[in-house]
Amino acid sequence: MKKAGQWSKEQVSLWLAEEGMQEYVEPLQQADGQALLRLSQADFQKPPLSRISPDSGKQLLEKIKTLNIEHHIEAHKNGFANGHVVISHEGDAGASSKTKRNGLVNGFHKELVRIPIPEPAGPQFPTEWGKTGVAFLYAICCFVFTSIMISIVHERVPPKEATPPLPDKFFDLFDRVEWAFSVCEINGMILVILWIIQWSLMKHKSIVGRRFLFIVGTLYLYRCITMYITTLPVPGMHFKCSPKLYGDWESQMRRGMKMLAGGGLTITGSHNLCGDYLYSGHTVMLTLTYLFMKEYSPRRFWCYHWGCGLLCAVGIFCILLAHDHYTIDVVIAYFITTRLFWWYHTMANQPDLKRPSRTNFISRVWWYRFFQYLEQNVKDVVPRSYQMPISWRSLQSGHVKYSRIDSD
Amino acid sequence: MATVDHQCERHPTDGHAHSGVSPGGRVCPVHSPKAEESKRAHKGLGRHRDYIKISVPEGKTIRLPMEWWKTFLAFFYAAFNLVLTTVMITVVHERVPAKETSPPLPDKFFDYIDRVKWAFTVTEVNGMVLVGIWCTQMVFHRYRSIVGRRFFFLMGTLYMYRCVTMYITTLPVPGMHMTCAPKLYGDSQAKLQRVLQLISGAGLSITGSHMMCGDFLYSGHTVMLTLTYLFIKEYSPRSFWWYHLLCWLMAATGVVCILVAHEHYSVDVVVAYFITSRLFYWYHTMANVQAVKCSPSSYLTHTWWNPIFNFLERNVQNQVPCSFCWPVTWPPACLKNPCKNYSMVQSVREE
Repeated sequence: MKKAGQWSKEQVSLWLAEEGMQEYVEPLQQADGQALLRLSQADFQKPPLSRISPDSGKQLLEKIKTLNIEHHIEAHKNGFANGHVVISHEGDAGASSKTKRNGLVNGFHKELVRIPIPEPAGPQFPTEWGKTGVAFLYAICCFVFTSIMISIVHERVPPKEATPPLPDKFFDLFDRVEWAFSVCEINGMILVILWIIQWSLMKHKSIVGRRFLFIVGTLYLYRCITMYITTLPVPGMHFKCSPKLYGDWESQMRRGMKMLAGGGLTITGSHNLCGDYLYSGHTVMLTLTYLFMKEYSPRRFWCYHWGCGLLCAVGIFCILLAHDHYTIDVVIAYFITTRLFWWYHTMANQPDLKRPSRTNFISRVWWYRFFQYLEQNVKDVVPRSYQMPISWRSLQSGHVKYSRIDSD
Repeated sequence: MATVDHQCERHPTDGHAHSGVSPGGRVCPVHSPKAEESKRAHKGLGRHRDYIKISVPEGKTIRLPMEWWKTFLAFFYAAFNLVLTTVMITVVHERVPAKETSPPLPDKFFDYIDRVKWAFTVTEVNGMVLVGIWCTQMVFHRYRSIVGRRFFFLMGTLYMYRCVTMYITTLPVPGMHMTCAPKLYGDSQAKLQRVLQLISGAGLSITGSHMMCGDFLYSGHTVMLTLTYLFIKEYSPRSFWWYHLLCWLMAATGVVCILVAHEHYSVDVVVAYFITSRLFYWYHTMANVQAVKCSPSSYLTHTWWNPIFNFLERNVQNQVPCSFCWPVTWPPACLKNPCKNYSMVQSVREE
């Protein structure tokens, strides 16, 4: 670029536009480089400049002063005037080889400095309802399989006259209480309903739902295996088991479906099949809903946690009090449920453990691939945040959608 | 000179603090190394002011202190639990229903496969061989104190769980072939004798000490087979695939033969395998992955034995490398010529 003193009128206008002072272009149309440099405070007191300039030309005068300095520096041919290294600019290869600008680099020499803004790598907690759907199907399959298995096992339960109930320490200490099992089932229903309400209010319900369904499905699958391989006799003489249907597959199917429809609860009248003792499904549901409710609710709700814990503990105690399961069934169910819950959540929360490696023993479980499929896009610990399930705004008609704000 | 000293003072603490910091950048309160080590470095500098300490970056030193006393504690824990188990078996034996009144429970494996008499001997022989191999391997391992500690702790815990499950519900005998010793109603002396006999024979049929019934859920034989196999595989070189395969075959055959001999129900074996493998993986993940020990979002620390684990593994900062050495150094130290005492060098080395 030529020195400011030698600018033509067009170059002056160009410079003014570049500096963001387009308003001065028109009145200074006729000014060339020299005229520009000669502008003073007095010029801004008179029209037309006084009409346009909001700050009596202070800003423009500053810039002109800078130009003046450069002009003087050029004139004195001082190499490193301000200690700044001479920079040669990109677009001006031919012109600038002789005249190197010193001092302050201003305006026309657009040095583009790229400031890298870290791009967020996609949403941290993608909803991915598809995966939740897969987990739901898995859980349904496991439930159906369990019902079928109970139906099969029922045929093999030895009659209580032939094989009396096994000796159990809890039964020795506590006699049977008749209404205890209803208490257990009511507690179970309350906990499940509370959990569903809590889940529907969660912000990341697809992720949490996926986890619950997977864990519940796996626990019932394990239960199928333990129920099937060895059949324990009925825990008490009070049991009324439905009669056996030897080989009548259709009725057995129907029975299994009836049980599934009733949720396997005595209250709904679908708990008349025997043999499903090791391990206790009631304990699994009570413990699991309690663990999930505690995990995904705010820390300070200690009342709520204690209340649910009490419901769960009373429910489990009542199972034993009603002599409806052996103690071993309840203990194993509690053990497997808590271990699986903690195992899964530790894997989900630690990014180190989501990659199989020599030290990562936890990845050696058989369901590791399925786990990776469900959790690979969840980058961090799921925060406990809540929102109304249906936002009011979407219910209002004629609502203007602000694309940037609404895409949360 | 002044600046050099200043740097020396800073470096030891930086070096020491680094290994105790979890990936999140916070210092893990339980597992940071002792501060005394850094203090000792400072004291050394104070005495010999004419030395300039050239701070060498710490690098990844392997911090695996031996701490034999912890291993002995773990051993006593395991021994205690074994004794408790034998006492429990004696107690439970009294409550087993007679096989006439309570016939064996229906079991899917027993429906398909009939009993083979000599199968249980195979199991026990396999078990003894595996235990022998493991003991040899442990003795030759360089970090035998750490490995031994882990083995004793896991074995003790598994047997303790077994006490609980055996006691609360008593399963009937799995087959009519089982001959149970007669019950001793209230005769404590004889019961004690039985306990001692069981301990001395390690509960094996071969030694004739397996005559008590009732200890079915869950199977102790499966626990030993599985646990020794897992340890053998974990603490031996990865390239020894033939060795791993052989041990795996022995363990698997042993477990299957328990069922073939109709000595345990299928559920006993399955539950035993499940609990053993899960506990092993859990413990070793906690021991090897630093992030899991300290992070608040790690649920592995919610188990009841977490404080014991912290106590045992507090100073083990790295994964135990697989290296072997002779258990006893030769020649013994007393036969060696003592070095001349170079006073200055020796005293610096002591720090």
